[in-house]
Amino acid sequence: MSVLDALQATLAEEHAALYYYGVLGARTSQSASPALYDAVTAAYRRHRARRDQLRLMVRDAGGEPVAAAVAYELDGPLVRAAQVQRTAARLEIAGAEVLLALVAQSSGDVREWALSEATWSAVWQLELGGSAQTWPGAPELD
Amino acid sequence: MPGPSLTRRTAVVSAVGSALTSPLVLAGCDIDPPRSTDGSPASPPPPEDAELVASVVAELVRAAAVLEAATLAVPGLTPRLAPVADAHAAHLDLLVGAVADTDVPTSAPPSLPPDRVRTLAAVVRSERRLQREVRQACVTAASGDLARVLASVAASTAQHGASLARDPGGTTAAVAP
Repeated sequence: MSVLDALQATLAEEHAALYYYGVLGARTSQSASPALYDAVTAAYRRHRARRDQLRLMVRDAGGEPVAAAVAYELDGPLVRAAQVQRTAARLEIAGAEVLLALVAQSSGDVREWALSEATWSAVWQLELGGSAQTWPGAPELD
Repeated sequence: MPGPSLTRRTAVVSAVGSALTSPLVLAGCDIDPPRSTDGSPASPPPPEDAELVASVVAELVRAAAVLEAATLAVPGLTPRLAPVADAHAAHLDLLVGAVADTDVPTSAPPSLPPDRVRTLAAVVRSERRLQREVRQACVTAASGDLARVLASVAASTAQHGASLARDPGGTTAAVAP
Protein backbone atom coordinates (compact mmCIF):
# COMPACT_ATOMS: atom_id res chain seq x y z
CA MET A 1 0.00 0.00 0.00
CA SER A 2 1.34 3.40 -0.98
CA VAL A 3 1.13 6.55 1.10
CA LEU A 4 -1.54 7.78 -1.31
CA ASP A 5 -3.62 4.63 -0.81
CA ALA A 6 -3.32 4.97 2.96
CA LEU A 7 -4.30 8.65 2.78
CA GLN A 8 -7.33 7.81 0.66
CA ALA A 9 -8.38 5.02 3.04
CA THR A 10 -8.06 7.42 5.96
CA LEU A 11 -10.03 10.09 4.09
CA ALA A 12 -12.81 7.61 3.31
CA GLU A 13 -12.99 6.80 7.02
CA GLU A 14 -13.15 10.47 7.89
CA HIS A 15 -16.08 11.01 5.55
CA ALA A 16 -17.92 8.26 7.41
CA ALA A 17 -16.89 9.57 10.84
CA LEU A 18 -18.13 13.06 9.97
CA TYR A 19 -21.46 11.65 8.82
CA TYR A 20 -21.85 9.68 12.03
CA TYR A 21 -20.85 12.62 14.19
CA GLY A 22 -23.42 14.77 12.39
CA VAL A 23 -26.07 12.24 13.36
CA LEU A 24 -24.74 11.94 16.91
CA GLY A 25 -24.78 15.71 17.35
CA ALA A 26 -28.38 15.85 16.16
CA ARG A 27 -29.35 13.16 18.66
CA THR A 28 -27.66 14.86 21.62
CA SER A 29 -29.45 17.37 23.75
CA GLN A 30 -27.36 20.38 24.68
CA SER A 31 -29.52 21.05 27.72
CA ALA A 32 -30.01 17.46 28.92
CA SER A 33 -26.42 16.25 28.43
CA PRO A 34 -24.21 19.31 27.99
CA ALA A 35 -20.91 17.47 28.59
CA LEU A 36 -21.69 14.89 25.91
CA TYR A 37 -22.92 17.59 23.57
CA ASP A 38 -19.62 19.46 24.00
CA ALA A 39 -17.58 16.30 23.50
CA VAL A 40 -19.47 15.35 20.33
CA THR A 41 -19.36 18.90 18.96
CA ALA A 42 -15.62 19.20 19.57
CA ALA A 43 -15.06 15.84 17.92
CA TYR A 44 -17.13 16.86 14.90
CA ARG A 45 -14.96 19.95 14.46
CA ARG A 46 -11.78 17.96 14.86
CA HIS A 47 -12.85 15.40 12.29
CA ARG A 48 -13.96 18.09 9.87
CA ALA A 49 -10.52 19.70 10.08
CA ARG A 50 -8.97 16.24 9.72
CA ARG A 51 -10.97 15.55 6.56
CA ASP A 52 -9.96 18.90 5.07
CA GLN A 53 -6.31 18.25 5.85
CA LEU A 54 -6.51 14.77 4.34
CA ARG A 55 -7.94 16.20 1.13
CA LEU A 56 -4.96 18.53 0.91
CA MET A 57 -2.51 15.73 1.62
CA VAL A 58 -4.11 13.47 -1.00
CA ARG A 59 -3.71 16.25 -3.57
CA ASP A 60 -0.13 16.83 -2.45
CA ALA A 61 0.49 13.13 -3.03
CA GLY A 62 -0.85 13.45 -6.56
CA GLY A 63 -4.30 11.95 -6.02
CA GLU A 64 -7.89 13.02 -6.41
CA PRO A 65 -9.54 12.91 -2.97
CA VAL A 66 -12.16 10.21 -2.63
CA ALA A 67 -15.67 11.54 -2.24
CA ALA A 68 -18.02 10.83 0.63
CA ALA A 69 -20.77 8.31 0.19
CA VAL A 70 -24.27 9.73 -0.03
CA ALA A 71 -25.14 8.11 3.28
CA TYR A 72 -23.75 5.58 5.71
CA GLU A 73 -25.61 2.79 7.38
CA LEU A 74 -27.04 3.32 10.83
CA ASP A 75 -28.21 0.05 12.23
CA GLY A 76 -28.85 0.68 15.87
CA PRO A 77 -30.86 2.97 18.06
CA LEU A 78 -29.28 6.25 19.05
CA VAL A 79 -31.87 7.44 21.47
CA ARG A 80 -30.17 7.45 24.81
CA ALA A 81 -27.16 9.59 25.66
CA ALA A 82 -25.26 6.44 26.64
CA GLN A 83 -25.78 5.00 23.16
CA VAL A 84 -24.53 8.19 21.56
CA GLN A 85 -21.51 8.25 23.84
CA ARG A 86 -20.65 4.63 23.17
CA THR A 87 -20.96 5.10 19.44
CA ALA A 88 -18.76 8.18 19.50
CA ALA A 89 -16.15 6.30 21.52
CA ARG A 90 -16.19 3.51 18.94
CA LEU A 91 -15.63 6.07 16.19
CA GLU A 92 -12.51 7.30 17.98
CA ILE A 93 -11.25 3.76 18.60
CA ALA A 94 -11.64 2.93 14.92
CA GLY A 95 -10.18 6.30 13.94
CA ALA A 96 -7.03 5.64 15.95
CA GLU A 97 -6.60 2.30 14.15
CA VAL A 98 -6.87 3.85 10.71
CA LEU A 99 -4.48 6.64 11.63
CA LEU A 100 -1.92 4.21 12.99
CA ALA A 101 -2.06 2.40 9.65
CA LEU A 102 -1.26 5.74 8.03
CA VAL A 103 1.63 6.21 10.48
CA ALA A 104 3.08 2.91 9.29
CA GLN A 105 2.74 3.75 5.62
CA SER A 106 4.01 7.32 5.74
CA SER A 107 6.99 9.32 6.90
CA GLY A 108 7.92 12.87 7.78
CA ASP A 109 5.14 15.43 8.05
CA VAL A 110 2.34 13.03 7.12
CA ARG A 111 3.43 10.52 9.76
CA GLU A 112 3.76 13.24 12.38
CA TRP A 113 0.28 14.52 11.56
CA ALA A 114 -1.21 11.03 11.68
CA LEU A 115 0.48 10.44 15.04
CA SER A 116 -0.94 13.66 16.46
CA GLU A 117 -4.43 12.82 15.27
CA ALA A 118 -4.22 9.24 16.52
CA THR A 119 -3.12 10.53 19.91
CA TRP A 120 -6.03 12.96 19.95
CA SER A 121 -8.51 10.22 19.14
CA ALA A 122 -7.02 8.04 21.87
CA VAL A 123 -7.22 10.78 24.48
CA TRP A 124 -10.69 11.87 23.38
CA GLN A 125 -11.97 8.40 24.16
CA LEU A 126 -11.58 9.39 27.82
CA GLU A 127 -14.01 12.27 27.25
CA LEU A 128 -16.45 9.73 25.84
CA GLY A 129 -16.41 7.36 28.80
CA GLY A 130 -13.47 5.25 27.67
CA SER A 131 -10.42 4.35 29.68
CA ALA A 132 -6.71 4.28 28.94
CA GLN A 133 -5.47 1.23 27.03
CA THR A 134 -2.11 -0.41 26.56
CA TRP A 135 -2.25 -0.52 22.75
CA PRO A 136 -4.70 2.07 21.46
CA GLY A 137 -5.04 1.82 17.70
CA ALA A 138 -3.23 -1.52 17.62
CA PRO A 139 -5.56 -3.96 19.42
CA GLU A 140 -3.85 -7.03 17.96
CA LEU A 141 -0.87 -6.30 20.25
CA ASP A 142 -2.93 -6.84 23.39
CA MET B 1 -24.00 -3.29 20.52
CA PRO B 2 -26.35 -0.58 19.34
CA GLY B 3 -25.13 2.19 17.16
CA PRO B 4 -24.30 2.73 13.56
CA SER B 5 -22.80 -0.11 11.72
CA LEU B 6 -19.07 0.13 11.64
CA THR B 7 -18.74 -2.86 9.39
CA ARG B 8 -17.56 -0.80 6.47
CA ARG B 9 -15.12 1.00 8.71
CA THR B 10 -13.97 -2.25 10.19
CA ALA B 11 -13.47 -3.68 6.75
CA VAL B 12 -11.20 -0.82 5.82
CA VAL B 13 -9.31 -1.13 9.07
CA SER B 14 -8.88 -4.82 8.40
CA ALA B 15 -7.67 -4.18 4.91
CA VAL B 16 -5.17 -1.64 6.12
CA GLY B 17 -4.28 -3.73 9.12
CA SER B 18 -3.68 -6.86 7.12
CA ALA B 19 -1.21 -4.98 4.99
CA LEU B 20 0.78 -4.43 8.15
CA THR B 21 0.53 -7.86 9.61
CA SER B 22 0.79 -10.15 6.64
CA PRO B 23 4.27 -11.39 5.87
CA LEU B 24 3.19 -11.99 2.30
CA VAL B 25 2.26 -8.38 1.76
CA LEU B 26 5.28 -7.12 3.58
CA ALA B 27 7.49 -9.29 1.46
CA GLY B 28 7.10 -6.62 -1.20
CA CYS B 29 8.26 -3.89 1.11
CA ASP B 30 11.85 -2.88 0.88
CA ILE B 31 11.97 -1.35 4.33
CA ASP B 32 10.53 -3.91 6.65
CA PRO B 33 11.61 -7.50 6.66
CA PRO B 34 8.83 -10.08 6.91
CA ARG B 35 7.48 -10.09 10.38
CA SER B 36 7.14 -13.11 12.52
CA THR B 37 3.76 -14.74 12.80
CA ASP B 38 3.89 -15.45 16.51
CA GLY B 39 1.88 -12.37 17.36
CA SER B 40 4.93 -10.35 18.06
CA PRO B 41 4.32 -6.84 16.88
CA ALA B 42 7.12 -6.09 14.91
CA SER B 43 9.48 -7.74 12.70
CA PRO B 44 12.96 -6.94 13.86
CA PRO B 45 13.46 -3.29 13.07
CA PRO B 46 16.19 -2.50 10.58
CA PRO B 47 19.62 -1.94 12.12
CA GLU B 48 19.33 1.81 11.81
CA ASP B 49 16.41 1.69 14.25
CA ALA B 50 18.22 -0.31 16.92
CA GLU B 51 19.62 2.78 18.60
CA LEU B 52 16.22 4.42 18.52
CA VAL B 53 14.61 1.39 20.16
CA ALA B 54 17.33 1.39 22.82
CA SER B 55 16.61 5.03 23.61
CA VAL B 56 12.88 4.36 23.97
CA VAL B 57 13.62 1.33 26.16
CA ALA B 58 15.81 3.50 28.40
CA GLU B 59 13.07 6.10 28.60
CA LEU B 60 10.47 3.48 29.53
CA VAL B 61 12.76 2.17 32.25
CA ARG B 62 13.22 5.70 33.57
CA ALA B 63 9.45 6.29 33.61
CA ALA B 64 8.91 2.95 35.36
CA ALA B 65 11.40 3.97 38.05
CA VAL B 66 9.46 7.17 38.63
CA LEU B 67 6.23 5.19 38.97
CA GLU B 68 7.85 2.83 41.42
CA ALA B 69 9.25 5.68 43.48
CA ALA B 70 5.84 7.33 43.48
CA THR B 71 4.09 4.24 44.83
CA LEU B 72 6.75 3.89 47.51
CA ALA B 73 6.41 7.56 48.50
CA VAL B 74 2.60 7.53 48.48
CA PRO B 75 1.28 3.96 48.70
CA GLY B 76 -2.26 5.27 48.32
CA LEU B 77 -1.47 6.10 44.71
CA THR B 78 -0.88 2.46 43.85
CA PRO B 79 -4.36 1.78 42.41
CA ARG B 80 -4.02 4.75 40.10
CA LEU B 81 -0.47 4.11 39.00
CA ALA B 82 -0.59 0.34 38.63
CA PRO B 83 -2.43 0.43 35.26
CA VAL B 84 0.19 2.88 33.95
CA ALA B 85 3.02 0.69 35.15
CA ASP B 86 1.38 -2.39 33.63
CA ALA B 87 0.99 -0.67 30.27
CA HIS B 88 4.63 0.44 30.25
CA ALA B 89 5.76 -3.04 31.23
CA ALA B 90 3.92 -4.39 28.17
CA HIS B 91 5.45 -1.67 25.99
CA LEU B 92 8.88 -2.52 27.32
CA ASP B 93 8.46 -6.25 26.80
CA LEU B 94 7.46 -5.79 23.21
CA LEU B 95 10.24 -3.40 22.32
CA VAL B 96 12.92 -5.43 24.07
CA GLY B 97 11.66 -8.51 22.28
CA ALA B 98 11.73 -6.76 18.93
CA VAL B 99 15.46 -6.20 18.96
CA ALA B 100 17.83 -9.00 19.72
CA ASP B 101 20.45 -8.30 22.36
CA THR B 102 18.76 -5.16 23.56
CA ASP B 103 20.19 -4.30 26.93
CA VAL B 104 17.61 -3.29 29.46
CA PRO B 105 19.26 -0.55 31.44
CA THR B 106 18.49 0.24 35.01
CA SER B 107 17.42 3.57 36.32
CA ALA B 108 17.88 4.81 39.85
CA PRO B 109 14.49 5.75 41.22
CA PRO B 110 14.16 9.44 41.98
CA SER B 111 13.40 10.61 45.45
CA LEU B 112 9.81 11.78 45.71
CA PRO B 113 8.08 13.46 48.64
CA PRO B 114 5.38 11.63 50.59
CA ASP B 115 2.94 14.18 49.28
CA ARG B 116 0.13 12.96 47.07
CA VAL B 117 -0.33 16.04 44.89
CA ARG B 118 3.37 16.73 44.35
CA THR B 119 4.18 13.11 43.65
CA LEU B 120 1.32 12.78 41.20
CA ALA B 121 2.50 15.96 39.48
CA ALA B 122 5.98 14.43 39.16
CA VAL B 123 4.47 11.32 37.56
CA VAL B 124 2.46 13.42 35.10
CA ARG B 125 5.63 15.32 34.14
CA SER B 126 7.50 12.06 33.71
CA GLU B 127 4.75 10.63 31.50
CA ARG B 128 4.77 13.75 29.35
CA ARG B 129 8.51 13.48 28.92
CA LEU B 130 8.12 9.84 27.94
CA GLN B 131 5.41 10.73 25.45
CA ARG B 132 7.63 13.39 23.82
CA GLU B 133 10.51 10.95 23.48
CA VAL B 134 8.38 8.15 22.05
CA ARG B 135 6.70 10.55 19.69
CA GLN B 136 10.04 11.75 18.38
CA ALA B 137 11.18 8.17 17.94
CA CYS B 138 8.00 7.34 16.04
CA VAL B 139 8.50 10.20 13.61
CA THR B 140 12.11 9.25 12.89
CA ALA B 141 11.81 5.45 12.79
CA ALA B 142 12.88 3.92 9.48
CA SER B 143 10.54 0.96 9.90
CA GLY B 144 6.86 1.69 9.36
CA ASP B 145 5.93 -1.26 11.58
CA LEU B 146 8.04 0.08 14.40
CA ALA B 147 6.61 3.57 13.90
CA ARG B 148 3.12 2.13 14.30
CA VAL B 149 4.07 0.36 17.53
CA LEU B 150 5.67 3.54 18.86
CA ALA B 151 2.61 5.57 17.87
CA SER B 152 0.48 3.23 19.94
CA VAL B 153 2.88 3.55 22.88
CA ALA B 154 2.72 7.35 22.55
CA ALA B 155 -1.09 7.30 22.37
CA SER B 156 -1.29 4.98 25.39
CA THR B 157 1.07 7.20 27.35
CA ALA B 158 -1.01 10.25 26.42
CA GLN B 159 -4.18 8.47 27.56
CA HIS B 160 -2.70 7.46 30.88
CA GLY B 161 -1.20 10.91 31.42
CA ALA B 162 -4.51 12.57 30.64
CA SER B 163 -6.29 10.16 32.92
CA LEU B 164 -3.95 11.04 35.80
CA ALA B 165 -4.11 14.75 35.09
CA ARG B 166 -7.92 14.77 34.93
CA ASP B 167 -8.23 14.05 38.60
CA PRO B 168 -5.16 15.46 40.34
CA GLY B 169 -6.89 15.23 43.70
CA GLY B 170 -6.77 11.50 43.36
CA THR B 171 -10.18 10.91 44.83
CA THR B 172 -10.51 7.64 42.97
CA ALA B 173 -7.60 6.26 44.95
CA ALA B 174 -8.94 7.35 48.30
CA VAL B 175 -9.97 3.81 49.17
CA ALA B 176 -6.42 2.58 48.99
CA PRO B 177 -4.85 1.49 52.26
